[in-house]
Formats: sequence, C-alpha cells, structure tokens
Amino acid sequence: MTLSLVLQAVFAGVTNGMVYALVGMGLAAIFKGSRVINAMQGEFSVIGAMTTVLLLTKAGWPYPAAIAGGALAGALVGAFIEVAFVRYMAKKNASEDSFLLLTIGLALTLSASILFFVGRDGHLLPPLGGEGVLIVLDAVIQFHALWLIAIGIGATLLLRTFFHRTTVGLSMMAASIDADGAATTGINVARMRTFTFVLGGVLGAAGGILVTPLIGVDYQLGLNLTLKGFAAAVLGGLTNPLGAAVGGLTLGLVESLAIIGISSSYKDVVAFSVLIVIMILMPQGILGRAGRRGG
Amino acid sequence: MLEVDSVSAGYGALTILRDVSLKVGDGEAVALVGANGAGKTTLVRTVCGLLRARGGHIVKNGTDITTTPAHDLARHGLAVVLENRRLFGELSVRENLVLAETVGRRARGGQMRFTWDEVTALFPVVKERLDSAVELLSGGQQQMVAIARALLLQPDLLIMDEPSTGLAPKVVKDILLVIKALRERGMGLLLIEQNVGIASEITDRGYVMALGSIVHEIGVGEWQSFLKDERLVKAYLG
Repeated sequence: MTLSLVLQAVFAGVTNGMVYALVGMGLAAIFKGSRVINAMQGEFSVIGAMTTVLLLTKAGWPYPAAIAGGALAGALVGAFIEVAFVRYMAKKNASEDSFLLLTIGLALTLSASILFFVGRDGHLLPPLGGEGVLIVLDAVIQFHALWLIAIGIGATLLLRTFFHRTTVGLSMMAASIDADGAATTGINVARMRTFTFVLGGVLGAAGGILVTPLIGVDYQLGLNLTLKGFAAAVLGGLTNPLGAAVGGLTLGLVESLAIIGISSSYKDVVAFSVLIVIMILMPQGILGRAGRRGG
Repeated sequence: MLEVDSVSAGYGALTILRDVSLKVGDGEAVALVGANGAGKTTLVRTVCGLLRARGGHIVKNGTDITTTPAHDLARHGLAVVLENRRLFGELSVRENLVLAETVGRRARGGQMRFTWDEVTALFPVVKERLDSAVELLSGGQQQMVAIARALLLQPDLLIMDEPSTGLAPKVVKDILLVIKALRERGMGLLLIEQNVGIASEITDRGYVMALGSIVHEIGVGEWQSFLKDERLVKAYLG
C-alpha cells in the first residue's frame, strides 16, 4: 500500500464523508428541531438533485439558478411534509415510532414517484469548478470535490452559528426540547417545526446536488444516502449537526480505507462494523455527552 | 384583569373542569388551592392556551383570550411558570432567558417592565450560572430560572403552578421573598399551590378547587379562619 494510494483513499473518504455529513446534518437538524427521525432524508437529496438536473437540461436554466431551484425544491418538500403530515400527527400526540413509519412510507412513495415520472435512468450534473483536478503526491482530487468539501465545512459552521447565535435557531431547539415550555415562552412551536423541515430539506438537497456530479442520481439513491446520513448523525450524537459532520467524515474515511485495505465489496460491512464498535465504546456519540447539546 | 368565566375543559372524552369561574384583579395575588387531581393544572393549561376550553370565556384586560394560542399570551401581559418548570435543559441559562427577553421586548414594543439587569439582580444565582446548561442546575436554581424567564416576557400577571413542589425549605423561602418583591412592584399573581400555608402567606385571597370545580372562596382577610376550620381544610384539601 503506497502513500499515494492512502492519500487517494483519504481524498475519496473526505469527499464521500462530506456528502454523508450534509445528509446527516439535515437529519440531525430535523431531529434536533422536532424529535422526528426522518427516514426520508436521502429523498430530499434525490429531489434536490433531480430538480437541478431537470431545470438545467429540460428547462435550460443556468447552472447556478438550477442549483438554487434544487435547494428550493428540497425546502418546499420539507415544508409540505411538515405542514401536511407531521403537524397533524403532532396534534394527535403521535409517538416517535409513528413519525418514523410516516417518513419510511414517504420515502418509498417519493422514490416510486421519481421512478414513475423521471424514469430509472441515472443523471449526472456538471462538476463545480470544471473538470480540473489537483494532484498531491500522485493522488488526484477533483476540483468539484474541493468545492464539495468547502461547501460542507461552510454549511457545518453556518449551522452551528444558526442554532446558537440566532433567535430562530434557539427557538427551534427550544421547541423540540419542550413544546409546552416553548409555547409559554412565546415560541410558535408549529412554525419552528416547519422551519426545521425546511432546513433539513435544504441540507439534504445540497448533499444530493453536490454528489450528483460524482456518482449520478437516480430514484434509488435516497435509501443509500439515508442510511449513510443516519449513521453519520447517530455517530455524532443525533441532536448535534456538528457531530453529524464529524460522523459523516468518519464514515467516509472508514469506507475508503476499507476499500484499499480489504475490498470494495466489503466496504459497507467494514464501515458499519467499525461504527458499531464506536457506538459500543462511545454510546453518546463521537463528541460525547457535551456534544449532544452542541450544534 | 383576568376573568375566567364558566370554563369547562378536558382531555378526550374526559371532562376535567366544570363551569370554573374566578377573577384576579389588577396587582392582586390570588391562590388556587386543592388536593392532587382537583383540576388545578388543567385550569392553568386552559388559561394559558395549552388546552382549548370547551366552554366559557377567559378574558384578560378586556380581551377575550379563550382561543388565543399559548405563544401569543405575552402580548396580553400573561406569563406562566408551569409545573416542573418546563425549561430547555440542554440550553444554557442565558439562552433560556434570551428567548423570553426577545419575545417580551416584541410584545411590549420595547417598553420593558423588567429589564435583564433587574431580573438577574432578583436572582443572583441565575446571574452566576448564565453560561451553565440548565439541566446541570439544582431544582431550586431551575425554579429561579423559570421565574426569571417568565418575568422577561414582561407580564402584568404571573401564573405559577406549584412553585414550591420538591424544593428545600430554604429555597422556597428565597422564592417567596422574590414573589413578595414582585407584588410590591404591582405584579398580579395567580398561585396554584397544594401547600395552603404558602398560599396564605403571599396571597390576598383564594379559591378552593375539588373535582374540577371551584367549591369554596376565601375572601380577603379570611385565610386564617379558613386554615383554622379543620373540617373545611380536610374536606377540600385532604
């Protein structure tokens, strides 16, 4: 195993990990703001990416506008799901497992809808920053991957600032910690939950749009991203978007190193085995108990 | 100031409150006492908009707030310290208070009844622990944070549901001192208490609740005679 091969695996791991991080951060943001485990987080990615593809290729929008449209689609679907389903169920005091079942059902429905309306073909988006690559010690990383990593880091920092430095972010956390306490503190709990789903939708869509130039998007991508994003979020403590970012990077790196160390066929087995060990040793997540209130 | 007129409320098929009426005048301190299960907390939840009244009216300063959602109550000068405090444990004390201050400032258009400095001066412990996570504080300290949070909503009437429950006598004494100081500033108070000794110490008059109804009124100056009437106390408070 050469240094350049390890470095190449690290580049790939960080790149994939940042996608998992974005999906995981969205999942953690939704859980942090609503206590709903969103099993359709990966579908936000598919919706964002597919919308961008369609706006770019069918409607002829400029790429930046198509990306904005994709992110907006994630936000709108997030808002719709909260208003149409979650809000009604919350009024009926639905349990956490009911919400989980709801989002599993929605994930399957959305996936089937995309298959029906868009078809089973995969689609690619142009890489951000062009086709260029950076070569470091014979290891290659695409400019697009650098953009992806930069955007991922920026989103992580922005999200942390949002949750702890803005009234809306604090209100979203408060509403999820204690809905009655929040309502009697003047916080519109239902509105905060909608914002939470909008935020989760945008983050999921961002992950999907950014990963599409690398691996393409099709109707099946959502489930895989949900699983990886969920693993990332749980690794980070589930309520902590920053932890989800760390979890995503960990997952990505373990996967990549498993590919060069063992075999690409066993990458998921190795990655998830390592995650199980981490969760046994650190049940509160990688950042520990203190990390659970971070963001 | 606050008028609860023939209110009924409940959960699902269960009716808890039946035709409940009470009044709290401007700057007045009124107690609502009753045994466990009397419906006191259900009344609090109904008045503050967490539970929709099935009948009757709730009027605050002349405005009907029967259907006003809980998050709009600050605009009507009403704040509540719920049973078990209902703070945001994972957030810091400062974050808990900032949220209330923001809402209170908006509700009062910047004309604050209680400034941040005044509120933190009332509770030195709160001031010392501003950056601590609330869940790391003792029960007494959390109760003080809960009262501070309610005051930053800038109410003219404060509803407190069982503020002394589970607290050490010394802490209860400190909290009662604060409540007395608030009363001197003209704050109205609706105190929900099982401990009639505490209720009689800091309120002008009271209502006794049993089985979801007001069953007895204690007028101004009548607390001592009520407490001495063992038959009444035993019948209503157990």
